[in-house]
Amino acid sequence: MLRRVLALPSARIAVAVLAVIALLAALGPLLAPHDPLATGDHPLGAASGTHWLGTDYLGRDMLSRLLDGSRVSVLGSLEVALTALAVGVVPGILSVYLGRAFEWITLRLADTLVALPFLLFAVAVVALLGNGITQAMLVTGVLVSPLFYRVSRAATLAVARSPYVEAAVIGGASIGWVVRRHVWAKVLPPVAVALAQTVGVGFVIVSSLTFLGIGVQPPAPTWGGLLASDLGYLSQRPWAPVTPALLIMVTVWACNVLADALRDVSGEAGRALVLARRARDRRPAAAGPAPAGGAR
Amino acid sequence: MTTTQAQPPAVPVARRTAARVRHTLGRALATLARSVALFVPVFLVATFVTFALRSLSGLSPARLQLGEQATPEAIARVEAQWGLDRPFLVQYGDWFDGLLHGRLGTSWTNGADISSLIGTGLGVSLSVATFALIIGIVFGFGLGTLAALRRTTWVDRAITGFVTLISVMPAFVVGIVLVAVLAVGLHLFPSAGYMTPQQGLGPWLAHITLPAVALSFDVVADVARQLRGSLVAAYRENYVTGAVVRGLSPRRIFFRHVLRNGLGPALATLGLKFPALVGASVVTEWVFGLQGFGRFANDSAQSGDVPAVQGVLVVSIVLVVVFNLVVNLVLAGVTPASQRGV
Repeated sequence: MLRRVLALPSARIAVAVLAVIALLAALGPLLAPHDPLATGDHPLGAASGTHWLGTDYLGRDMLSRLLDGSRVSVLGSLEVALTALAVGVVPGILSVYLGRAFEWITLRLADTLVALPFLLFAVAVVALLGNGITQAMLVTGVLVSPLFYRVSRAATLAVARSPYVEAAVIGGASIGWVVRRHVWAKVLPPVAVALAQTVGVGFVIVSSLTFLGIGVQPPAPTWGGLLASDLGYLSQRPWAPVTPALLIMVTVWACNVLADALRDVSGEAGRALVLARRARDRRPAAAGPAPAGGAR
Repeated sequence: MTTTQAQPPAVPVARRTAARVRHTLGRALATLARSVALFVPVFLVATFVTFALRSLSGLSPARLQLGEQATPEAIARVEAQWGLDRPFLVQYGDWFDGLLHGRLGTSWTNGADISSLIGTGLGVSLSVATFALIIGIVFGFGLGTLAALRRTTWVDRAITGFVTLISVMPAFVVGIVLVAVLAVGLHLFPSAGYMTPQQGLGPWLAHITLPAVALSFDVVADVARQLRGSLVAAYRENYVTGAVVRGLSPRRIFFRHVLRNGLGPALATLGLKFPALVGASVVTEWVFGLQGFGRFANDSAQSGDVPAVQGVLVVSIVLVVVFNLVVNLVLAGVTPASQRGV
């Protein structure tokens, strides 16, 4: 599946972008040319040789703050996605097998979680339960987990009704064996799609929360926090929000593209797509030499 | 349907229409009952979680009123005053009873009535959200339909590209760009603040336009994408081919067959988008300096005013549930599949 995804050019670009972002998150603090917290003599300075992206209202180097802040956003969005995955998938699969009571309860819980405005809830919970990005992301992860629940439940339902699984059950296979042997392989692709989407959603949420100043202590830089401080000085430095905003948008875009690519290559439609591509790639190669010789 | 057709043509038209109206009304009521039955457990669970937040947070009004150096006796006195020394379930029952009567309690910070505080903020937020929804519906449905009608042409590709672009822009980023360009740069709109419609329709619209546009991008993108997908799928159905073969006009095919069948997913998306819209108002109201519902939520959360936060969450849940009820009713009325009871 991984090889099939990487055969798509759009997916290759998305993966490259995400790799760069991940690298920024891992090495950002080391790459920063200045101390992100050191104040300088030139507040609100324009981009220059020493300060590539200019300086903020305290004269702090924007590039360093941007690089230093990348880790919070990346780790936060991964935390959202992985929490949602952990909370959603297992009940989704089990809801098909554990009887109607469990099914009903989990469905109602999923309905409830979908009905809660998660940004509002994240704000409330962080403010009440302690000012940490980790708590916020755990809560948000639980709130977006219905996506994983629904996706894995739908995939499991489809497999559970297929003839080969019924044959296995008639043949005496246990539920555990069926899940491991048949269900898992069918649930994995849609879950991968949901995971890519959720990382994007998580990124928006982390940025929004840090923009509001929730989840981090003031001097520490974050992408959302940078935007918030730029907002106050728009008349002096109108171009300042461009870089953090673009970074957020490109990352979310890459996640969405990756999700689309994963969806395109998984399942029957995906197999047909890849086969068609392969056939098209082969045809010019085979037909190429003949007209070249024939034209002369 | 079969009963009306089986009747002889001699039956007065009025009686037939009356029967049809009764039929439609009955169906709407059945949908309403089913939706309410679905949403009652949702509401109960959500309010319980909301109320449990206080016990989980360990915050108390005594901290806010007496400061950090309060003696244990003083803290106990204040907590008893607020009724916090009673068992958890008693407190919950009391609070829930208040909810049903529209009372959300009083704020810990200034003792003001939370219902009226939220009421003032809600006016601002609902004007913005409604405007955003209108923009989202008009442009989302317009773009989605246009892309589906001109599918696989450059129009379709341009719309898809545009929709992809705006779908990755978080509301607060759009907000900042709008403020920077249209308010600070070109002075076309006020950059912050709010005016009530009573102070003049023009100023009111001017103040809510930018926040509404910022909020609407997400709705436009999702509705357009969903509608394009389901309309294109509907055009591939056999009944559309059949309609073409029967020689029906393209307009009739679109409105009677394609649109009604393809509308479902887009409307359902609209229902799901509403919580996101309410949530995103926290951020846009911060950007545009609006004293609305989201701003109130943020401020009271930051100051640890638990009853206020609980009130905000309950109101948002009610809003979401009511909106979804409306969407369900519209869905039941419009799409043929739901009329067959599927």
